[in-house]
Amino acid sequence: MMLPQRLHKLFTPLIQPLLAVLIGLLAGAIAISFVGEPVFETYKAMWEGAFGNFYFLTSTLARATPILLVGLGVALAFRAGVFNLGSEGQMVLGAVSAALAALCIPGPPVVKLLAAIVAGMLAGGLWALLAGWMESRFKVQLLISTLLLNYVAVLFASYLVAGPFQDKTGSAALAQTPMIDQGAWLPKLFPGMSVHMGFVIAIVCAVVLIVILKYTAPGYEVKMLGLNPFFAQYGGVNKVKLLLLSMFFSGALAGLAGSVEVLGSQYRYVDGALTAPGFAWTGMMAALLANSNPLGTVVTAILLAALETGAMGMERNTEVPLEVASVIQAVLILFISAKLTLKLVKFRRKEREVHGTV
Amino acid sequence: MELFDYSLFVSAIRMVSPILLAALGGALCARVGIFNVGLEGLILAGAFSAIVGNHFTENIFLALLTAVAVSVLVSLLFGYATIHLKSNPIVAGIAINFLMLGLTTFALRAIFDVKGAYYNKDMSGLPKVDIPFVEDIPVVGQLISGHSPLVYTAFLAAILLYVFFYRTVTGFRVLAVGKNEAAARSLGLKVTTIQYGAIIMSGVLCGLAGAQLSLGQVTMFTEGMTAGRGFIALVAMMLGQSHPIGIAGSSLLFGLMDALSIRLQGFSMPTQFTAMLPYVITIIAMFFLKDRGSDSLAGQHTSR
Amino acid sequence: MSYVVEMLNIRKEFPGIVANDNISLSLRKGEIHALLGENGAGKSTLMGVLFGMYQPEKGVIKVDGKEVRITNPNVANRLGIGMVHQHFKLVDNFTVTENIILGSEPVKGMVLDIDSAAKKIAELSKHYGLNVDPHAKIEDISVGMQQRVEIMKMLYREAEVLIFDEPTAVLTPVEIKELMKIMKNLIKEGKSIIIITHKLKEIKAVADRCTVIRRGKSIGTVNVAEASEASLAEMMVGRHVSFKVDKKESTPSDVVLKIDGVSVKNNRKVLGVKDVSLEVKKGEILGIAGVDGNGQSELVEAITGLRKVEAGRIFLNGEEITNLPIKSRIQKGLGHIPEDRQKRGLVLDYTMESNMVLEVYNKQPFSKYGLLNMPAIRKYAKNILQNFDVRSGEGAASIARTLSGGNQQKAIIGRELELDPDLLIAVQPTRGLDVGSIEYIHRRLIEHRDKGKAVLLVSLELDEVLQLSDRIAIVNNGELVGEVKASETNENEVGLMMAGVGKERNV
Repeated sequence: MMLPQRLHKLFTPLIQPLLAVLIGLLAGAIAISFVGEPVFETYKAMWEGAFGNFYFLTSTLARATPILLVGLGVALAFRAGVFNLGSEGQMVLGAVSAALAALCIPGPPVVKLLAAIVAGMLAGGLWALLAGWMESRFKVQLLISTLLLNYVAVLFASYLVAGPFQDKTGSAALAQTPMIDQGAWLPKLFPGMSVHMGFVIAIVCAVVLIVILKYTAPGYEVKMLGLNPFFAQYGGVNKVKLLLLSMFFSGALAGLAGSVEVLGSQYRYVDGALTAPGFAWTGMMAALLANSNPLGTVVTAILLAALETGAMGMERNTEVPLEVASVIQAVLILFISAKLTLKLVKFRRKEREVHGTV
Repeated sequence: MELFDYSLFVSAIRMVSPILLAALGGALCARVGIFNVGLEGLILAGAFSAIVGNHFTENIFLALLTAVAVSVLVSLLFGYATIHLKSNPIVAGIAINFLMLGLTTFALRAIFDVKGAYYNKDMSGLPKVDIPFVEDIPVVGQLISGHSPLVYTAFLAAILLYVFFYRTVTGFRVLAVGKNEAAARSLGLKVTTIQYGAIIMSGVLCGLAGAQLSLGQVTMFTEGMTAGRGFIALVAMMLGQSHPIGIAGSSLLFGLMDALSIRLQGFSMPTQFTAMLPYVITIIAMFFLKDRGSDSLAGQHTSR
Repeated sequence: MSYVVEMLNIRKEFPGIVANDNISLSLRKGEIHALLGENGAGKSTLMGVLFGMYQPEKGVIKVDGKEVRITNPNVANRLGIGMVHQHFKLVDNFTVTENIILGSEPVKGMVLDIDSAAKKIAELSKHYGLNVDPHAKIEDISVGMQQRVEIMKMLYREAEVLIFDEPTAVLTPVEIKELMKIMKNLIKEGKSIIIITHKLKEIKAVADRCTVIRRGKSIGTVNVAEASEASLAEMMVGRHVSFKVDKKESTPSDVVLKIDGVSVKNNRKVLGVKDVSLEVKKGEILGIAGVDGNGQSELVEAITGLRKVEAGRIFLNGEEITNLPIKSRIQKGLGHIPEDRQKRGLVLDYTMESNMVLEVYNKQPFSKYGLLNMPAIRKYAKNILQNFDVRSGEGAASIARTLSGGNQQKAIIGRELELDPDLLIAVQPTRGLDVGSIEYIHRRLIEHRDKGKAVLLVSLELDEVLQLSDRIAIVNNGELVGEVKASETNENEVGLMMAGVGKERNV
């Protein structure tokens, strides 16, 4: 292969995301100037807020933790060809289950911690499995059912912590559980910094997912199912089993996201504390941006988290509302899925196809 | 308080209009072969811009016009992404939902300088239309008369859409495009134009749906106030098999559930459970879908 | 001599290839002109140029002696040029009338005027002897009828020149004869016809003149009356071809596949296969002949496990497999070359090596403890690609999409034959391929038979079934009409049975 061709192969996949980022930043710039602030300074403040010093950097990583875990779960489902839009509900149920497990299960703190994580993953996984089961058994469209189930899950979790499991110790009756034993907390990675052990767990999950998808037989099946379900079926892959498994682990990862957030930074389940920052949706965007590639999801999750923490920094120092971050994110997604530059790639393919003819 | 009484059905009719309007918009898109997951975002855009229009013009008609104009703009963005850039319509729809959630929240702060919700007691909402003579009929008068003009518009839109699909040339072409794009194209129909037309009309309808949400009952806007209505509308559309009259029926069901969910709050039941009702019912309704669309494994390819 | 259409020195390039290189074709008024060439020779491109779908880089098109620029299909229609597409472009749940008027609808006031349109269509139908019911729904009428609707669409738009793109591919022999009659009727009414085809017999039967193209180049135009099938074939392929397949007499032994009274539902939830019983033995090729959509696909899917069996039983090597999962059937010795290579046969966006291990990835040495052994997979794939002469840009690492159709198909066949299945089911194994690939694939199928394995061949090309099979089973409307020995039958007999004329004979 000639060098220019190799370069072409290396850079073509990058044109699209770069272009999308550019358009996203452009949209952000329009929003910023709409508020009447200088664009360049605002973006600089944003950069500072995300990566300006070690503290901000670790805050970004802390925020990236649930985003990454959710993103990995979504990426797994997407890889298997199913649109799991239910991460939010799966994450919330995972979080509340983890909190309750840590509170209710007797034993030494380590047992509580492990039980909490297992409970969180199970809750998220089973909730996702419900949608998977409805799809495979009754053909209830997963795309819509997962989304609607979010509302049910969030409301149910809210009921739990506003009702039977409410923290009655404080003076104000907040909708939250009591605090978990300190021994069952996930340790912080650096003293005084918000990033915790959950980030390491997330990275480990990413590595495991990469290995599974790339180097194992089940990973091969999942990818085939996602790329061409007819082919997978023809080759004897059990579609239903694989769909259910993918949904379970997708939900379990979202549940894990909720669990580590509870065990590593909130130390209790607070109603709305996971939904308000939109962790689940950002996670899904991270997966979409990375085209469901787990390694890419690591990068995009950190980038999107940086965008959000950066926006908070920006809000502290300028008059621009931090929601500019969600505008940039959404525009990114809108254009990342476009077949804009792919035209160029197809063009090349056709050429090769013809040369390859006998 | 009674569980079922006239006022429940009155509020059901009121609640039905945003769902019905949006579902009709979704049906138009579905009929030209585009699954519009972005209804949620389009309604939100309409709801917010109706308030903005109302705030700046203090004229309810101009407010509606603003809502429609903005929703149409957003729908054009969706159309551009799916038709021209050939994005996966589901991903593009989701992106539109995010975008509108972000943009409205952003603009809420940029324009009104508030977080969460904007409410102004001096702002007037949509007027009530009292239909002469009808309002005097007992029971029926209570039910039918005295709603916002958008409620009537919604039902009128269903009837008009029915006539459009099954009686007019353009409607006939729209149906053909949706059933077999290649066939339509081979006979020289301007498929792209027809698809854009449907998407723009769905923008109009969703804009009105949003306006009804923010100006219909209480005149206010809250972040993410659509709360999944766009998706419920999608289910209503599927349940009605994209047939305008069928959609009117299924939307009525969901409107009733919305009304019931609010009504139940008056009973001693945790609000979380009453609030769940519309979503649970919608999920249950999906078990009865006849035209379930493609099974997600067969049809939807997530990879671009 | 007056020409209705003249295409002079047409050159059309696509990135990296010249699809049409200086090709000329002149159509006389009132003639049937055949355009002959192999798959990929450039026939469709040339007609695409005439129909306004492509713009030529060079060359002139004249209609009725006047030079024209056909920028899109609408312009072609206005010039009186109509195309009967190979894959019908019809809206299934619309009526015949609705399909025909789409795009040029008559209106009464603001409202669609279906009734007057239906009347006009009924008249047209009568005039040309097409016998089409204007009120029937497309999904309820036969494929032959659907084709007539396609023809009606053009007549309704008053086309003078009709282009038929491979019109006989989907028809029974009887329907083909009827179509030819219709074509001659059209000529009598002053229309002119171009027929795109690679079937020599049909050209001999119906065409007046024939233009042959090969690899984008014009080979020549001949009067059909003065040419033989053999000379046309040589012009098309560029070398002498014998369409005879060399094979020894078969020596069938034990039964490999036994189908016993099997019924299967089709996609419309009605029985698409009705009480079919069949046997395929070691060392023989059983061909299934039938017109598309008469239950072949459903039967194959029932055997391979892609579709549920409603009644009856299926045995492989004496063991019942009726309700086994697909994977176990593959392990018990079933190989399947699927009907649609791009839909089921390959993952187009994946590498060839991933595509080649579909049935074996979870076995040793390709995976151990669930981990894939990439070097072993690569070696396995390379071996198949080499053995089956699959040509690709980057070998086993090539993305499947980048391969030509013939190479994709060879790779699939290689993958299935590598498993050395006791029963190989080959569905349409040569569809859309060039003569070289077809010959190669035929040879490999016969080799497999000669190794003492069973082959079940399903093809819509009657010639292919007749040449390759040892025995032929004919299906019509989901039922087995009869079974004949290939050496003792001919096209006419099988053709009649395909149309449903029953025949019982012991083989």
